[in-house]
Amino acid sequence: MDQDLVTQFKNKYETLAGIVHLVDTEDQAAEAVLDIVRLEQCRQVALGSLPASLSARIDAACSEAGIAVVKPPYQRQQLPQAMHESPVGVTWAALAVAETGALLELTTDDALRLVSALPRVHVGICRARDLLATHREAAAPIRRFFSQNKRNATATFISGPSRTGDIEMRLTLGVHGPEVAHAVVLGRCPDEADTGDKGDRHDAP
Amino acid sequence: MTPHDRHSRLQDRIEAALKRKAQRSALSVAVKRGRDSRRAALDAIPGGEAFREEVRAIKLRCLEKQQELIERFAARAKERGTHVFMAKDGAAAIGYILTLAAERKAKTVAKSKSLTSEEIEVNESLEAAGLQVVETDLGELIIQKTGEKPFHLVFPAVHKTAAEVAEIFKRVTGENVPHDIDAIMKAVRRYLRPIFLNADIGMTGANIGIAETGTIAIETNEGNARLVSSIPDVHVCIIGQEKIVETIDDAFQMMFAHPVSAVGQHLTTYVTMMSGRSPMGEGDSARESHIVILDNGRSQMRASELYSDALNCIRCGACMNICPTYGVVGGHTFGHIYPGPIGIPWTAEIHGLEKAADFAPLCVSCGLCMEICPAKIDIPLMIAGVKDRASRRQPHPLINRVLMAAESMAKLGSATAPLANRSLQNALFRRGLEKFVGIDRRRQLPPFSPQTLTAQFHRRGPAKIAGPKRKVAFFTDVYANYNAPELGMAAIERLEALGCEVIIPPQRACGYPYIAYGDLKRAHKTAQKNVAHLAPYVEKGYEIVTTEPTAAYCLKVSYPRLLGQSRRSLAVVEHTHEYFPFAAQLENDITASEQSLLAGRTYGFHIPCHQRALGAGRHTVDFLQKRGAKVQVVETGTCCGMAGTFGLKKGFLGYELAHAVGEPLFEEFKASGVEAIVTESSVCSIHLRQGTGMPVHHPLELLQPAE
Ligand code: SF4
Ligand code: SF4
Repeated sequence: MDQDLVTQFKNKYETLAGIVHLVDTEDQAAEAVLDIVRLEQCRQVALGSLPASLSARIDAACSEAGIAVVKPPYQRQQLPQAMHESPVGVTWAALAVAETGALLELTTDDALRLVSALPRVHVGICRARDLLATHREAAAPIRRFFSQNKRNATATFISGPSRTGDIEMRLTLGVHGPEVAHAVVLGRCPDEADTGDKGDRHDAP
Repeated sequence: MTPHDRHSRLQDRIEAALKRKAQRSALSVAVKRGRDSRRAALDAIPGGEAFREEVRAIKLRCLEKQQELIERFAARAKERGTHVFMAKDGAAAIGYILTLAAERKAKTVAKSKSLTSEEIEVNESLEAAGLQVVETDLGELIIQKTGEKPFHLVFPAVHKTAAEVAEIFKRVTGENVPHDIDAIMKAVRRYLRPIFLNADIGMTGANIGIAETGTIAIETNEGNARLVSSIPDVHVCIIGQEKIVETIDDAFQMMFAHPVSAVGQHLTTYVTMMSGRSPMGEGDSARESHIVILDNGRSQMRASELYSDALNCIRCGACMNICPTYGVVGGHTFGHIYPGPIGIPWTAEIHGLEKAADFAPLCVSCGLCMEICPAKIDIPLMIAGVKDRASRRQPHPLINRVLMAAESMAKLGSATAPLANRSLQNALFRRGLEKFVGIDRRRQLPPFSPQTLTAQFHRRGPAKIAGPKRKVAFFTDVYANYNAPELGMAAIERLEALGCEVIIPPQRACGYPYIAYGDLKRAHKTAQKNVAHLAPYVEKGYEIVTTEPTAAYCLKVSYPRLLGQSRRSLAVVEHTHEYFPFAAQLENDITASEQSLLAGRTYGFHIPCHQRALGAGRHTVDFLQKRGAKVQVVETGTCCGMAGTFGLKKGFLGYELAHAVGEPLFEEFKASGVEAIVTESSVCSIHLRQGTGMPVHHPLELLQPAE
């Protein structure tokens, strides 16, 4: 893992009005999500398709705090209401790109796209080791994803909250989708034993 | 419509646009921010402008094998269960969509921004069939609700103030919408949410089609296309066939080029790449997607030698951000459905020559759109083609014919110089010149010289340079030859002092006005003649040097295009130089006294548009700085408004518009604190002198003759 990439991603994502959280463990990620949910004072959070253990941790943390969690598998009849009624949506990003500050969401179910598209607050979680330096490097994994899913597949780059400058050129966030966008970068130092980064302090929430 | 009617109608529209001060200033802020942000973004990345080369190469390659790519794209999309419909024109596309809507018993269509759908006026047809169609991009929604067309490609509603927008949504929602942007956003969010959630059909365009995987890519900053393409069970995408590229990697280049050129963003906030249609949760079966691939004249465009270049457009809007006249009058005046520079050839090909001819004269041929275009499209030449074709139906107005014959006029003026110059000072004569010819009486005109540079030079005879370092064939163009031979002589003598053998070969004026006003036959002929004159000198080892930026541009940029990149025209390109870059190659150390020649002087440097394509006057600035002057480039990033001879013309399609374009630059110069303006363009200097009241010099005028 390249610490420079994490820094570059963080800087870029933040210039795009996003908020970055660097955490080391899944527990800390779940905690970060809970903090965000609390800050928003909301009662329901929608989850995308996250790795099972992470999903379970977030679910547990939120449930314990009395926050309803909706999560896959989603039934057609619940949709799109489930996401519309969730002020916070938490999704998994297969990759992220340091150069552009973009999270890459790969889905084969549109319900999961809605988790990052409808709620007022979006939290995208990705692993630090899945950071790519440049946009171009994402071509190969997307190609693979499309060829593995012969019928339907959607890849979405998401870099920050929904923005518009359509009125008087003034940047305004959240006109349709998320007004607030968080990126949680997980496992800041998985190679810490090798790199000696262990003692590094960082601004985890 | 007679040419006179067309001309005066356009004049009226310009006049009206110039009066809308608030709109003008909003537009000028928007376009300036667009081009400044682009500049800053490109300055910050390695390679800078180099990506344009790649974009062009990709577009040309994909256009070359377009039919194959369309078929591959369609085949891949069908394999994924997508319905693909090839629409030969707008009627076919609309027919398909109407049938679909009827079969699905659809009532509401939520749309995300798509210029291609506007091209065929889909909304009107759907509404006529009783469907409710709602644009969900905020800017598009605003203009939909007021029944207007986009004012700008990227910022369709930039001409509306927050207060006006609030009133629009008050009317639309029945809510009380305060006049502040945040409150408006909340109202819009509340208004659109149920439309997103309940629309029967979601309709989008696509920025890119990818043949390799049958994928469409849709870019939005607002994220509305994500909702429109996911929630409704039926998704319809209308894509122009020229948007189909071969591979994901090609698409990635476009994904960068598009937002960076538009607003300096590296990537649009949301880029959705859809391959087939996904279900919505478990137990879903009703999902379908339809891709309508639109031809509507594109195949014909592709077959045209001149207009096929327009198909390389990726709709970034950068040309609108730099076009001097568009930046003043906006898309309602400068556009039909397709606005701005590229809107002229697109309109001509898709919506008809007549429609294009209505606003084509707004192009003053500054050439800047080509310099900013990520696909390096030669928009000015296509516009010249549109003007040319239009002139075959209705002849050019007199004034344009006169200005195209600038050299004959100058010849006459010079031959009758004392009389001609007195006349130019005479108010009565100027009134007549305005009334009968169309040259604005307020415009100061440079006097003619009784003896041309060529005549003077030949009288003097060539200087004997023993073992010349370089051989120079001097290209005079109109101004140095007929108006300012002393300037031309100073240039020549300085070259001689640097060890060059100089001659003035036979030549004609560069003929750029033929391109500017649209007489391609004459432009072509002039190019041919001059290349025939100059190429033999190049073959004998001469370098062609000129002091007029437009002449250098014409020889280096326009001629090869006009002459199909002929070998000789390219030889001329290779060996043509602007004066100062050429002199800089020869000049070594200068004497101490020359180093302090301009000490203490402060100048503001103006870059003429055509010089931007040639190195933006960097060597000229160096030249002056080396002599002790303090020089700063003063610019707004676009044209000063004069645009060759455009600013000579009377009225709104001339003098008035030239001044409106120039105002911000005049202000910059006046506020800069410099003592004088320096520029190499003979025509810009007239305009800047009049616009600022400041002294304006050619750099060579500032120098004593070289020692
Ligand atoms: S050449 Fe200049 S005036 Fe003409 S369309 Fe392009 S930018 Fe506008
Ligand atoms: S012509 Fe070029 S600059 Fe203008 S919109 Fe098209 S791609 Fe952009």
